Amino acid sequence: MALLEVRHVSKVYQTQGAPVLALDDVSLTVDRGDFLALMGKSGCGKSTLLNLCGGMDFPTSGQVVLDGQVTAELDDAGLTRLRREKVGFIFQSFQLLHTLTAVENVEIPLLLARRPNARATALERLRWVEMEFLADRLPHQLSGGQQQRVAIARALVHDPRVLLADEPTGNLDTATGELVLNLLRRIAHELDVAVLMATHGVESASMADRIVQLRDGRMVEAAVSR
Amino acid sequence: MRSNWALFLRLIIRPLTREPVRTALIVFAVALGVGVVIAINLAGQAAAGSFRSSLESLAGKSDLEITGTGGINERLLGSLVQLPYAFDFSPRIEDFAFLNGKGEALPFLGLDLIGHGIPQQGDTADHFEQLWPKDPIWVGTRLGLKRGERVRLLINDEMHVFTVAGVLKASGEGNAIVADIGLAQQVTRKNGKLDAIDVRIPPDGSIDHWRAVVKQHVPASLLVEPQGSRTQENRKMLAAFRWNLQVLSYIALVVGAFLIYNTISISVVRRRNEIGVVRALGGTRRLVTTGFLLEAMFFAICGSALGVAIGRLLAIGAVALIGSTVQSLYVSSEPAPIQLTISSALAGSGMGIAVAILAALAPAVEAGQVAPVEAMARGREEYVIATYSRAMSIAAAVMLLMAIVFSRLPPINGAPVCAYAAALLFVAAAAVWIPQLVSSFAPVASRISARLAGAEALLAMRGLQASIGRTSVLIAALATAVAMTAAVGIMVGSFRETVQVWMNNQLKADFYLRPAGMSAADRHPTISAEIADRIERLPGVSAVDRFRAYPITYEGMPATLAGDESSRVRDSSSTRFLQGENADRILAELPKGNYAVVTEPFANKHHIRAGGTIRLRLPGGIQAFKVLGIYYDYSTERGFIVLDRRTLLKYLPDPGVSNLAVYLKPGADANRVRREIDSVIGGRAVLVFSNRTLRRGAIAIFDRTFRITYALEAVAMIVAVMGIAGAMLAMTIDRRREFALLRFLGAAQDQVRRIILCEAGLLGLFANGIGLALGTVLSLLLVFVINKQSFGWTIQFHWPVALLLGILTVVYIATVLAGLYPARTAIRMNPIEVIHDE
Repeated sequence: MALLEVRHVSKVYQTQGAPVLALDDVSLTVDRGDFLALMGKSGCGKSTLLNLCGGMDFPTSGQVVLDGQVTAELDDAGLTRLRREKVGFIFQSFQLLHTLTAVENVEIPLLLARRPNARATALERLRWVEMEFLADRLPHQLSGGQQQRVAIARALVHDPRVLLADEPTGNLDTATGELVLNLLRRIAHELDVAVLMATHGVESASMADRIVQLRDGRMVEAAVSR
Repeated sequence: MRSNWALFLRLIIRPLTREPVRTALIVFAVALGVGVVIAINLAGQAAAGSFRSSLESLAGKSDLEITGTGGINERLLGSLVQLPYAFDFSPRIEDFAFLNGKGEALPFLGLDLIGHGIPQQGDTADHFEQLWPKDPIWVGTRLGLKRGERVRLLINDEMHVFTVAGVLKASGEGNAIVADIGLAQQVTRKNGKLDAIDVRIPPDGSIDHWRAVVKQHVPASLLVEPQGSRTQENRKMLAAFRWNLQVLSYIALVVGAFLIYNTISISVVRRRNEIGVVRALGGTRRLVTTGFLLEAMFFAICGSALGVAIGRLLAIGAVALIGSTVQSLYVSSEPAPIQLTISSALAGSGMGIAVAILAALAPAVEAGQVAPVEAMARGREEYVIATYSRAMSIAAAVMLLMAIVFSRLPPINGAPVCAYAAALLFVAAAAVWIPQLVSSFAPVASRISARLAGAEALLAMRGLQASIGRTSVLIAALATAVAMTAAVGIMVGSFRETVQVWMNNQLKADFYLRPAGMSAADRHPTISAEIADRIERLPGVSAVDRFRAYPITYEGMPATLAGDESSRVRDSSSTRFLQGENADRILAELPKGNYAVVTEPFANKHHIRAGGTIRLRLPGGIQAFKVLGIYYDYSTERGFIVLDRRTLLKYLPDPGVSNLAVYLKPGADANRVRREIDSVIGGRAVLVFSNRTLRRGAIAIFDRTFRITYALEAVAMIVAVMGIAGAMLAMTIDRRREFALLRFLGAAQDQVRRIILCEAGLLGLFANGIGLALGTVLSLLLVFVINKQSFGWTIQFHWPVALLLGILTVVYIATVLAGLYPARTAIRMNPIEVIHDE
């Protein structure tokens, strides 16, 4: 059984009374260690699909099954538990809490989940992304690439099964972006985590194992990249 | 002009309408602050304005008033009317009566109805003379009595039956009772005496001229004063009380000022980008500054308009509370109707608007200073003040030093203006220091809170730290309210403890007797001397102490002249004199001549020292008395001059007693003696209190007196908590990205709620800690400086631990509850939308 299954999922938003179809009958499966890129223009439904996969939202029709659990059957507490245990998020604008140091940012998911040894685990994850030496810095004292690496350490700190990355290189220069993409590949292949990355860049997508192309909410193409 | 108005509506008002709850909270907070100021002002006016009503205007219009301690011999009137001038003299008896022996004290006036007539509803006076019934009285409309009705009135310790002959038509004297002077003299036991003679002077010549003429023809012991002098004296006496109360009412406004400052600061931060755009599009600095000042004005005007209505409503409760305090401590009065005039409404509103503009000035000016490029480049930015600014620390230290200097300065015109300025400086110094204090404690607090309460507490603490500029203002607002409440709590607690200790010393007798009816500081109805004599002869009684009091005027201020049995006081060792004075020697000396002892408030008010001399107008002339000592007394602020009873009787031979202390023989059966006392009293309306009951009653009066201060503190606290709710709501909205992100990172809704409640709790904790420390400093100022300068009482410092714990707990809980609505708002946000928008 696949780690993540998206079965005929559609998503409709009501915007000022008029329905907007964000996703239209999308289906895909993702296994452990997969690095999958969701490609498409802005507004094509990439972020919506990531949010549905991460249990942040429910599909209007169809099902999202994550590690055997149908997300639509879970209540808010169940979805929260699912995210705490199985999902990690990375964002385009890093989304670090500017009041916390790097290590404290990484610690947060463990503290929220009341996991023991939070500090040690957080430092270990920072070491993995080669940021341990800047653990006590505040976000504004870090470069963009460093901030994104801290965000990746944070997304991995609770050993998720799925890592959802929404335009993770969108705010980075090419060289730094490449470093981050290599990191994501390592995560998928070394840590056996399924990585779903939304991107509109062909170069970024080419680093993934598979590419799924979205247009106006529909899946138009699925290809193997490498 | 029109374009400015459009800009104001679009850039200032429209954003406020998008957050109606927060806007409403701020407006209501300002309204409460303004409302309290108006309420206390109206209530104070009503309480002070009432002296005039019953005693002065019912007697008709007159120019001068002749009065004397213990009354005026009525034969004087006979000689005055023979003067070769066109004076018009109206004799008067003044006393109080209780309808059926219960309820409020009603002014009972004896007037020369035959000579001068009386205004009444319906019939003319002439007509009424034909219908003159037995023992007739005329009553105020408010008493609801009808002509012909028979009523029982308690006057002194006797019940009398009268017939209502008519209803008074004068509108302001709703509760007064008028009888003809002869009847009044008889029932008040003032045969051959008058309490006052009103004088109408001839139309030619000045009042000073005619006053001098009258003075030449009356004994020197009598006072000849312009009509209304007593009202002025009472107002003067009440000035300190009203002044202090009015100052207390400003606390809520001061708290409101912090909140306005915070609100405008938040607006400036939030609209930094807009400021940049407006400036880039040609808006001037002045336009930006004016815009934010207008925002403050908007809150102030809406708040003040609502505040006037709230003030009028609160005044009803305030009058009741102030009225009972005035009765207990100062003078008999019936509160006058509350009159909300345009000037009082404008004064309260004006103060609210002025405070709001002053509070908003700093952030508004700062907004004007923002350079357009900087504003647009930096976008929305957390408002951070220079936390560790050396200048702020220096400013705080200077204010602290100034506060200490001010606290040592004397009062100005009897008002502790400098001491209040010192209090304000202490509050300001603390407010300036708060960011530094919070920042210093923050790392430790973060560690402790993270260890004790996990990620929520850590995030809450960091949230507070990150917005220290805003949170320090909130903490300052709440800390000020807590400090003032704690300070007043400590002061009242200390006062209460001091009074209890004083009562333990003072009240040594087994029973106390006084005429029935409500007591007041200027009302001294009497018990027949014969009752005291008979009680003294009871087998179980070892001694009685006869105390007689007269209201007098001393150096233009109301006071009380009393006679006491020094030997009894000496035997019971009940009176404590100021340090260094020998009670035994003083009390042994007191009966030997023209000697007096005075109470501490009297001595302070009139700057009298032991060994000094006071001159009293007594029948027979002005008499000099040497002050042997000053003793502690907390029963009334009017102050007592106490002579030995025999000395008093020499000048004022009326043997009636105002109250009586009964000492039992050792081993006497108290219940049996009580029954015997009751049988001696017979049908007289005299109340007998056991020692315990009297103390309990006194403490109940004490507690009632300070209800108004607690009410004012409570309002200040409500304003602060409402402000915190509003500000936390703003902070929640501003930090929505953070809360949305936490949801992505696995935070449950409940955890987000806990973060906000933790923040509220931490705010409460900091405010409580700082408030308690500041409150202790302010309480020292209240106890040892403001109280001393205003009222002249020595109060022993005491910590009312239970009360303080109660205050801190209530504040803490209220602050946490204030976080509930912002927390609800936070968890209702859609994290996907928020992250997408950001």
